[in-house]
Amino acid sequence: MDNDIAIKVENVSKKFCKSLKRSMFYGISDIGKNALGLSSHSESLRNGEFWAVDDVSFEVRKGETLGIIGPNGSGKSTLLKMLNGIFWPDKGRITVKGKVGALIEIGAGFHPMLTGRENIYVNAAILGMTKKEVDEKFDDIVKFADIGDFLDSPVKFYSSGMYVRLGFAIAVHCEPEILLVDEILSVGDRNFQKKSIERMKEIISNDKSVIFVSHNLLAVRALCQRAIWLDNNKMRAEGSADGVVSKYEQFMDSVIANADANKLAALDQRQSGLIKFTDVQILDENGIRTKNIEFKKYACIRAWYNATERISDPNFRFLIRNPEGQPNNIIAPSGVYQNSLVSHIEPGEGYVDCIIEKIPLMPGNYFVRLVLTSIDYLVFYTRTLYDVPFSISYPTGQDKDTKPFLIHDSQVWIPAKIEYGRQERDKTVW
Amino acid sequence: MPENITTYIPDNAVRKGYRTLFMDMADEVKSSRWLVWQLFLGDFKAIYKQSIFGILWILFVPLLTLGTFILLNNAGIFKAGNIPLPYPLFALLGMAFWQLFSTGLTATTNSLVSAGTMIRKINFPREALVVASMGQAVVAFLIQIVAVVVLFMAYRVTPFWTTLLVPLTLIPILLLTLGIGFILSLANGVARDIGRGTPVILTFLMLATPILYSTPKGGILGTLTRYNPLYHLVTVPRDLIIVGRIDSPYGYSLSVLLSVILFFACWIVFHLTEKRIAERI
Repeated sequence: MDNDIAIKVENVSKKFCKSLKRSMFYGISDIGKNALGLSSHSESLRNGEFWAVDDVSFEVRKGETLGIIGPNGSGKSTLLKMLNGIFWPDKGRITVKGKVGALIEIGAGFHPMLTGRENIYVNAAILGMTKKEVDEKFDDIVKFADIGDFLDSPVKFYSSGMYVRLGFAIAVHCEPEILLVDEILSVGDRNFQKKSIERMKEIISNDKSVIFVSHNLLAVRALCQRAIWLDNNKMRAEGSADGVVSKYEQFMDSVIANADANKLAALDQRQSGLIKFTDVQILDENGIRTKNIEFKKYACIRAWYNATERISDPNFRFLIRNPEGQPNNIIAPSGVYQNSLVSHIEPGEGYVDCIIEKIPLMPGNYFVRLVLTSIDYLVFYTRTLYDVPFSISYPTGQDKDTKPFLIHDSQVWIPAKIEYGRQERDKTVW
Repeated sequence: MPENITTYIPDNAVRKGYRTLFMDMADEVKSSRWLVWQLFLGDFKAIYKQSIFGILWILFVPLLTLGTFILLNNAGIFKAGNIPLPYPLFALLGMAFWQLFSTGLTATTNSLVSAGTMIRKINFPREALVVASMGQAVVAFLIQIVAVVVLFMAYRVTPFWTTLLVPLTLIPILLLTLGIGFILSLANGVARDIGRGTPVILTFLMLATPILYSTPKGGILGTLTRYNPLYHLVTVPRDLIIVGRIDSPYGYSLSVLLSVILFFACWIVFHLTEKRIAERI
């Protein structure tokens, strides 16, 4: 194996069984065969089995952070568990160089009855630390966890934040060379998530390799150099974290924007109805409502909403379609970047502006459609019911024979700003 | 920097051969002693923390069983047979050794299943869970021994000098319990019937083994008893205390041999297949 490589995954597959009873009998048969020293012939599917991870290959270099993204049930966690050695692959080969540590479901080994102090010892032992190591690092762990007086209280009295901090603190003090992280940053509010991302950045030193499974696309962008996207248990894309996340966002945008009820069912819709779009306006640089923007000029898409509850993780997507193009083909989703985020929505009426300094669309007719999901695409809040038309016109005095492009420079347009305003909607503007 | 390269392939443990297997097992014994201790302490503290009687619960079950048999014996419904010392002493002593096996087996059988999430999320030697769960049975045993000592003093009975050999005779009981426990914990991970069935079978075994009555000489039970390794393993320590000799050294030696072989065989099977449990538990 190349000296520089920390993890090598070659054509790895893993199968699971949907039926509990069948799974039981397969389990007996597999264990029986292995106990007799025989192969379980895992490479073929038996009745009722399916591939939970199907032919996945990638490498992680030393010092590199790899993100794994994909919708729920796409095989991310199963893959991570195989890397951790919790179970074996059914096909392929995994090679891991160095001590592996896992931040998989923080606090999985916590005893609710035991105090924080007692749990530190039990949990650290489970994670493979020796008594000497724990004694040496005990104070650091406590300091890192920042649980104050609660150190000697049973962890069942901890807030969820404290619980996670303690688990996090123990896990990172095991000092692994390879760190596997699964969804731990999805706990708590965005403030806590930000703090955890900062912590993660500190922990990820140069020679440490990290595999980071997350729905939190911001975190994947912020922490990872490369990413893979699993969809339906297969690899769908691999490459730079930015590129893969953008592809994933575009895909999710088109799923949500075009979805019939069936497809939307994959997302959590329990929170739809908390907020509704009441109007979408196109404004020019003077704030005057218009239907036409001049090529490469300032444009603002203002979306009015009415929210009944606070929304803590809004992800506004302004999707632009071209009527001549393929039906429902999203040509320009707005990329989400940390600096262009609306951090939260307060209940009541308000608006969100998507401001583009020089709109990069070629002259023609377009529609804009608005979608609001959670930042991790797991929750669907709302979308506009109808598309709002607008057009881009040739600048006055320019030759009209310019070859029309759909998009001026890039596939993804990044709004200069997404602004969040709170005011009673002025009904007379229209 | 020393590189430790780990590879995972289908049927990992089987394909890598016995040499690697035995080295792994030896490694785990070395590296997981502290883990076993911590798991045991954790369980122990957790069980008795939110409880008024705490550790005294350990005495309740055997004392209740004992009380029932003393009543039955007293009323003449149940005959304990020819025993050389007061019945409560005889029975409590027998129960202590029997419970080391039965409590141990129940605890080990459930050890993997009750650790469920941990097994699905964290990679650590699963043997440690099984061995640590045995700790509860050892604690229960020690507490019952304290009760036995008190009873001996109350009845003013002096044990034989061979009592000094008793600690040695605990080893085969522990090995047998762990061996069967390894297999049953795996089996329970796959099919929960095992966890439900074990206490039922244990109750039957307790009644079929001469623990609360003297060794039957004839009949079907007499024959069964002669071939019952549990009888040999559990009653020899008691005999060493109250009669000062081993009645059937041949049967006892065979039982000890059996428990040692069973222990190692079951441990190997456990080690070969423990990863399969995370898939099914």
